[in-house]
Amino acid sequence: MTPRASDVVVIGGGAIGSCVAWLLARRGASVTLLDASTPGRATSASAGGLWPLGESLGLGCGVIFHATKGSNGAPAQPGPEPLPRRFMEFLCASNDRFPRLAQELLATTGLDVESEVGTGLLYLLYDEEQQRHAQRILDWLGAERSRVEAWTAEQVRARDPLVTRDLLGAIHFPGDNQVNPMLLAEALKRGALAHGARFVAEARVHALEMARGRVDAVVSDAGRFACGAVVNAAGAWSGQIARLAGVEIPIFPVRGQIVCTETLKPGTLRSNLSTRDCYLLQKSHGEVIVGSTTEHRGFDASVRYENARALAAGAVRAVPALRSATVKRVWAGLRPGTPDELPILGPDGRVANLFHATGGFRTGIVAAPLTGEMVAAAVLGEAPPLPLEPFLAARFAERPAEVVRGA
Amino acid sequence: MSRPLLIVGGGPAGMSAALAAAEHGVRSTVVDEGLDLGGQIYRKPTRPDGGAPPHRRGEQLRARVAALADRIEVRRSAAAWGVFEGRRVALSQDGASELLEPQALVLAPGALEFVPPFPGATLPGVMTPGAGQILVKTMGISPGARVVVAGSGPFLLAVACQLVAAGVHVAAVLEASPRAPWLALPLSGFRTPGLLLEGMKYLARLRLAGVPVRHSRMVIAAHGDGALREIEHAPVDADWNPDRARTVREKADALLVGFGFVPRVQLAQMAGCRLEWRPEVGGWTPVRDEHLATTVDGVWTAGDGAGVAGALVAESEGRLAGLAAAHRLGALDAARFAALRAPLLARLRRLAPIRRALDAISLPRPGLANLVDDATIVCRCEDVAWRDVRDAVRAGCTTYRSLKVATRVGMGACQGCSCWPGVARLVAAATKGSPESAGPASPRPPVRPVTLGELAESRIAP
Repeated sequence: MTPRASDVVVIGGGAIGSCVAWLLARRGASVTLLDASTPGRATSASAGGLWPLGESLGLGCGVIFHATKGSNGAPAQPGPEPLPRRFMEFLCASNDRFPRLAQELLATTGLDVESEVGTGLLYLLYDEEQQRHAQRILDWLGAERSRVEAWTAEQVRARDPLVTRDLLGAIHFPGDNQVNPMLLAEALKRGALAHGARFVAEARVHALEMARGRVDAVVSDAGRFACGAVVNAAGAWSGQIARLAGVEIPIFPVRGQIVCTETLKPGTLRSNLSTRDCYLLQKSHGEVIVGSTTEHRGFDASVRYENARALAAGAVRAVPALRSATVKRVWAGLRPGTPDELPILGPDGRVANLFHATGGFRTGIVAAPLTGEMVAAAVLGEAPPLPLEPFLAARFAERPAEVVRGA
Repeated sequence: MSRPLLIVGGGPAGMSAALAAAEHGVRSTVVDEGLDLGGQIYRKPTRPDGGAPPHRRGEQLRARVAALADRIEVRRSAAAWGVFEGRRVALSQDGASELLEPQALVLAPGALEFVPPFPGATLPGVMTPGAGQILVKTMGISPGARVVVAGSGPFLLAVACQLVAAGVHVAAVLEASPRAPWLALPLSGFRTPGLLLEGMKYLARLRLAGVPVRHSRMVIAAHGDGALREIEHAPVDADWNPDRARTVREKADALLVGFGFVPRVQLAQMAGCRLEWRPEVGGWTPVRDEHLATTVDGVWTAGDGAGVAGALVAESEGRLAGLAAAHRLGALDAARFAALRAPLLARLRRLAPIRRALDAISLPRPGLANLVDDATIVCRCEDVAWRDVRDAVRAGCTTYRSLKVATRVGMGACQGCSCWPGVARLVAAATKGSPESAGPASPRPPVRPVTLGELAESRIAP
């Protein structure tokens, strides 16, 4: 067998791993991208909402996450709190990169990742409690307040006539758009290949050969790959990869279910919508995607009927006309969750040549471009475009393990 | 309240499973998509001019199920559209859905006809033999004024006979295999005359009606402007490679085309059952133990849906699965189960090689992958042309998962059921591999249409 040495082995061919591979290959590094095509991977399950503000303020999928927590017997909370401001800045900066990234990928690979600018996100306000909660978040925004608009029910109707009339209003995030996540990953992968990277499918990693505190080689079902550095982009499974190197990172799978309709007339939904029960967005192919649950069920990526039913009910409440739309598919995926809902990026710190690009949780797709840049910079020993410190694995070092687990 | 045993499919396998379990006191529900029990093979004609009297065996089974109505609940025109978390089955009937939670589940959904992609296959007027049969048997509608039946396997002859009996003008039967299957049977086959006599009867009837049955000929394209007008067929070699220089054009306004059957494994896949590749019985089939238990606890599969083997095998398998489920539910002790299953297992062992020999001759051959051109639609749900798939294959996508992402092939409402078996063969030909390495489709619920409103308002049986 020919030697399979490369500068960098990237483990995980989802959006994040493919982006790191692409950026490194473009810089001339010899890159091997290993993919295991595991059922339940988050990139394939994702709806592709690019909601840097909606998600960091907790008004995207976070509302449902919060509602789920509240329904488990815990006392009612006023609503999800925003994530740290520096994370919001990180997501916004990453989101801003999409238009150019889409152009570059189209030119390099011929694939259109369906990056749709201008669709915007509407968080629907059904009652006064939600309205008060939204107002608190708008107040918290301060200087960033100008990036968000409070809309009346009439404004919502003018923009999206099929949205329910039983509404107090909505928060409009004009900069929150969408992309096709599977095409994004595929285009990044093909872009990496165009720049000389090697892609190996069905390469489930089962060992890391260690020597002097470094990873010497990655051993997979598809062979052994000697390497100068390893990027752990294995999503919900990245905790297992870290463990192969003898280190722990607090990553756990958070299951999300999706209900997808048949192809509907373009413009059925003009905005992305988020509500207390679900979010909805129409993809450029015409399907409406209804997501998503946040469940802690280990690595079980199966669909729970009750949850699919609840999403359908939420969708019909938000857009009554969808009642007669045929369901095309329901499925589930596993997001890589972390205790503080922030990603784990950059050098591991304990294993010298191990880098993490994981923990994307609800925002892995929107975070992919900047995650790629920050991790690629770390691997190349260059200064990252934004500080890495808030996202280093080392931030969990002082916490006792049970706090980390119980998130 | 869900009954302890749920049987999906009311063909010979499903009915036999319900009967076997009921004989030991097990209460079951049988769900079937048809207007009445029988499945494809024993479908009851709903019109006197339906082309064929009801199959006697089908009538017997239906009568026995009816006699046990206190134990066997039959739900007709009901579609099982998904299996969740093992054996929770979502069912749609009269526009309303509910979730059933049986303790034991027998999947007997039957098989789908296999139609490989070819130019013009999506034209109105082109349909499967089974679809043509339903038109005649249940609606009394002739598929066309000049009908050609084409493909491979004994089912073509049965359908052609039914059409002729219903007064339809069948211009020809084109069979890709070189000769009548039973001529190649091992001697042992003649000990099960039922299988053979029927086939010979069909052939004799067609001869009497003046319908030519032409062997080693295959339809290679269909033409028409908005509807079928003309077909092209050509002689084929032993591997079914067409000799295009000898192509013949023939007028036809209906083409019934099918190349055998593919097991319907989608519900088993959703239940989490592991599959294995068995091309001799139609492709991907659930892994089963000797008693037809799948790899998922409390789930059995029987009949053509577990590997295409015909009605006789289906009936024995159904009984075996019904007994196994009754044993699991505590209605049948181990000794009695062993005594009752022994003759069934013996019969299955006897039938298997004969059936295999019959099928071996009509199994799709590699030449079927040579019919597509660039523009041929290979996935009609998502309107994907062969050129899109071929380009993706060249870019390194050679599995269902990767091709789905790159081209949307198999992503439509049929969940890849109708297109993927054909596309997998094309991919195999393009990569000089086996359809096995392209993997099975990964179907998602629903496999039958359900609206968001129906899902939102569905009931969950306690």
